[in-house]
Amino acid sequence: MRGVTAAGVYLPRFRLSTEETQEAWGTAHASGIERKAVPAADEDALTMAIAAAERALDGGPVDRGSLNLVAAATTTPPLEEGEFVPRLVRALDLPADVASSTATQHAAAGAEALGRALDADGPALVVVSDCPEGDPADSDHPLGAGAAAFVIDDDPVVAVRDIAWHSDDTPGVRFRERGEENVESLGITTYERNVVREGVTEAVSALDVDAESATGAAVHQRDGKFPYRAAGDAALSNEAVAAGTVVDRVGDAGAATVPIGLLSALSEADGSELTVAAFFGSGTAAAVAFEGGLPVTGIDTVDGGDPIDYTAYLRERGYVVEGEVTGGGAHVSIPTWRRSLDQRYRLVAGECPECGGVTFPPEGACQACHSRVEFEQFEAPRTGTVRALTVIGQGGAPPEFATLQQRDGAFAVAIIALDAEDGAVTLPAQITDTDPESVDVGDTVRATIRRIYTQEGVPRYGVKFTPDG
Amino acid sequence: MRDAYVMGAGQSPFGSFPEETYLTLFDEAFDSALDSVEGDFSPDMIEEAYLGTLGVGGRQLGLSGPAVTEHVGLHGIPTTRVENACAASGYAFRQAVTAVRSGMVDVALAGGYEVMTDASSDHTRWWLGVSGQTEWERTSGTTFAGVYAQMASAHMEQYDTTVEDLSRVAVKNHGNGAQNPKAHLGFECSLDDAVSAPPVADPLNLYHCCPTTDGASAVVVASEDVAKEYDDAPVRVAGTGASSGKVGLFQRESLTSIPASVRAGEDAYEAAGIGPEDLDFAEVHDCFAIAELLAYEDLGFCDRGEAGRLLREGVTDPDGELPTNTSGGLKSKGHPIGATGTGQIVEAFEQLRGEAHVQVDDPRYGLAHNVGGSGGGVTVHILEREEAA
Repeated sequence: MRGVTAAGVYLPRFRLSTEETQEAWGTAHASGIERKAVPAADEDALTMAIAAAERALDGGPVDRGSLNLVAAATTTPPLEEGEFVPRLVRALDLPADVASSTATQHAAAGAEALGRALDADGPALVVVSDCPEGDPADSDHPLGAGAAAFVIDDDPVVAVRDIAWHSDDTPGVRFRERGEENVESLGITTYERNVVREGVTEAVSALDVDAESATGAAVHQRDGKFPYRAAGDAALSNEAVAAGTVVDRVGDAGAATVPIGLLSALSEADGSELTVAAFFGSGTAAAVAFEGGLPVTGIDTVDGGDPIDYTAYLRERGYVVEGEVTGGGAHVSIPTWRRSLDQRYRLVAGECPECGGVTFPPEGACQACHSRVEFEQFEAPRTGTVRALTVIGQGGAPPEFATLQQRDGAFAVAIIALDAEDGAVTLPAQITDTDPESVDVGDTVRATIRRIYTQEGVPRYGVKFTPDG
Repeated sequence: MRDAYVMGAGQSPFGSFPEETYLTLFDEAFDSALDSVEGDFSPDMIEEAYLGTLGVGGRQLGLSGPAVTEHVGLHGIPTTRVENACAASGYAFRQAVTAVRSGMVDVALAGGYEVMTDASSDHTRWWLGVSGQTEWERTSGTTFAGVYAQMASAHMEQYDTTVEDLSRVAVKNHGNGAQNPKAHLGFECSLDDAVSAPPVADPLNLYHCCPTTDGASAVVVASEDVAKEYDDAPVRVAGTGASSGKVGLFQRESLTSIPASVRAGEDAYEAAGIGPEDLDFAEVHDCFAIAELLAYEDLGFCDRGEAGRLLREGVTDPDGELPTNTSGGLKSKGHPIGATGTGQIVEAFEQLRGEAHVQVDDPRYGLAHNVGGSGGGVTVHILEREEAA
């Protein structure tokens, strides 16, 4: 029997209320959605995936070095063609021989990733992360963001009882044209509702469980009403649907909504209680039945978050900012950047075998005794202290950061000390996810992986810090 | 080792001259330096040149040194372009002094040049901070203002230094620069102006930052025999010091000091056989206000944490015990990166000859302190006016 042994959820910090959208546009196409999660300017599907996976893996029963498979799902990979899992692998320090799989192109991609992990041998990591975009005038209104991660293994805490599929051609239901960023649907309301309900009902009905007895049900949730409508046909109770519905607080996070709803239900479920997840994406429907419950790190953030106004929303999401970084001046080449990934993702520093001093990055002569030595490499702790600090306003940053400033405003850059055994690892890094004016020398901060900047079309990721606690 | 002397020193006006080139600006500086030499000196006597520039904007990144010497008619002489960021011409001067002291040449030229204001704002932004530690410091989103602001934050935290203390650097240096016709920003400012200026990189505001400047400077360095042929009370290079440090602030042993300044200063004092108490004036590297405070402490003008007090008590004012940046400093006179180091020598030379715009009373020893980047390379030179024979 395979199933879930650990899980984590990541939601970005900002929340936009539908009231704000209503005020901005005079109308809001976000039925049953009270507020939605909004990714910050330096976040995307990859950074949210890393954050959710860290929560699932951190302190869990499965050692990350033993993972055999990483199955990712997203409709919004940062590059339309480009690596997703390999970057997760480096950022999470997973073994290089891990099998990889990325499901994309539809909102049920998470079911594909789960299915792949359930079919695999040994420990597997499933990460579903999404931040869909739409036309700000309408299709964007319900769209949120978030990520859910599952560690799948034998002898699980939450067993998967069954998985069922239903596939049919449903043209015109939520699609994105090649080369476009905005998801669309043709708005043939009754037709769309009917084909989605049919797919979900067929898949749930095919499960070899008594769906009526489910205490939790995460049903495809593009708005707050749909899951309850679909549940009627599938014989799921309203109480069960309520336990697995998060779209009202998270928004339609594309492929990630049902997985986050599922983890919300599992975090409340007891011993042998049944939870059903029902996915739908462009004609593919899938239903998965789970038995039991487990604690989910980060699930409390479904009800948290900091409100933002609509103007800030448009900026953070990049709807009103176009930035292309040109070349010139000092430049860090891609091969040089790649050499430093262990430092940028995992904070790998060097200890001097002669004096015990700490050097970061671990190359060249020892920073303490200036001897040329072979460093003993170690991972620095991911929390540290602000030693020095500045706030960089508009125009005060290198041009690589002009787009970030237009989207996110002024940012704080600190010199951070991470205490090691003998001495401290010190490095410069941005403080993100906070009002830069609220940071002080002496504050405790925690590492997070964010997009640093995009140049020549290639997004570059690395460590930033957020206030701890 | 024989002594080296400064026979002449001059500069172009510092300012925004987008229609000038590094060649035409150096032309002016060179003429000014030649004019300052006592007696009838022929540039044909110059045997070798060391010229500092960062090369902001990219223009002539290769061989700009020879291009300059050929442009001013120093045909065929060996010329070395020196790059150590904002300390480029501090190091060029050090090279010229070494060439003369070693006996290799009797007369050497040191100088520097930079054009910073003729490019689009996008292009310019690429070049600001190119001498910071690129791989980590720049990719954390800072240019120099940000790195010095981090030092300011640490200094304020550790020593209760205030925004007023930082602002007094601007008030003092603008007061001096307003007397200097070759200064870039030759106007006075009040403490209120300086405290309430718009932020650049918190805690540093606009008045805590030097401008980007076009300009050139040139210094003629000669052996004792040559120097005394032209001037019976020449200016001697009494002490030199220079030191390197980690280019990235985060890699250094201190956030509230520039260790290379400390080392360069100690060497220069020892070579000159004097201490900071013997100085009559100083030109220090005030690219940002906090840098002048750090210089006071690193060069022994006061104890650690006391720099704010020095400013409050007016010790470094023109009528104080140790007038500092009488030229206006980088803040008011301007900071054409490659030209700054020898530009400081120009002020020291004029002070020691009694020809400065803000003249110190009968000085004997003056110090020039030039910092590259946020402290990756530093030179300190102590000049002495000898008594007439």
